[in-house]
Amino acid sequence: MLDDKMLINLQRTLTCSGILISFSGRFSQGIIEELGEAIMKHMEAEDRPRNDIYNVFAIFVETTHNIKKYAVSKQGSSVYDRIYNSGIVTIGRNEEGYFICSGNLIEQSDAEKLAVELDTLIPMPKDQLKKRYKEQMKKELPPDCIGAGLGLIDIARKSSKPMNYSLQSMDDLLFFTLTVMV
Amino acid sequence: MESLFFEATKATPLIDFNVNKKTLVLKGQSYPENAFKFYDPVFLRIENYLSTSPAEIRVDIRLSYVNTSSSKCIMMLLEKLEEAFKRGVNVQLNWYCDMENESEVECAEEFQEDISFPFKIIPELEKGSND
Repeated sequence: MLDDKMLINLQRTLTCSGILISFSGRFSQGIIEELGEAIMKHMEAEDRPRNDIYNVFAIFVETTHNIKKYAVSKQGSSVYDRIYNSGIVTIGRNEEGYFICSGNLIEQSDAEKLAVELDTLIPMPKDQLKKRYKEQMKKELPPDCIGAGLGLIDIARKSSKPMNYSLQSMDDLLFFTLTVMV
Repeated sequence: MESLFFEATKATPLIDFNVNKKTLVLKGQSYPENAFKFYDPVFLRIENYLSTSPAEIRVDIRLSYVNTSSSKCIMMLLEKLEEAFKRGVNVQLNWYCDMENESEVECAEEFQEDISFPFKIIPELEKGSND
């Protein structure tokens, strides 16, 4: 049980870290839409440049869709529920700008592939990211696929600083975190 | 030949394909849970229409946000239009943009780069900016 002190501490942690919006748990399309709209309205009220609002919103949508689609792809597996319940996203603001921090549990074999992809994308200059995006865009997709394989490239393109990621062991799974700045 | 109409929702754009007027309109935001499933009926109707070798089709697009899997679908749609254009169908596309939003303009320009039929990027005047 969360007592009143813990609740106040939780809120203090959120406030001290500059977090404006946070969600932890199962992502549904409805939740993604509501949170996306909330952050957009917040940034509009703060009179942020339209481009920044668009990029924060886009990164938020791509990250949360990635988390959701990953969880759904594990349907039928023994780790499905743990993975589905492990999603978290925070959007906040500090002296450097807006940040989108997200995390979820992933399986070891997927972590390796993900790390290779991120290590390739992170040092890439923007013009090369654009090239990669366009190449991926033109690839034929298998008929039952749910994504176009473009999400991470798009996030890298919209990030104002190189993305940061980490992988931490949690029992037999890994907790993946991704931090993107706008 | 049938028309197609979808009302806009938060995450899906209005789709208005009118066979009599020979127009296709996409308007709103596009980030559905499964973009391929959402755009599939649009592809089907458009493919059907284009297979009859029509004289023309006019496409108006005003999408304030397109996620990556929807972008892939838009690309697939443009490829179908491009093929039809090469077979002699008069294809015209107007893409309306908020010119103050670099990312939105860039998105439209990147589609334009890959297309040879008439594709215009038109500044959309901001609505209700003073109210």
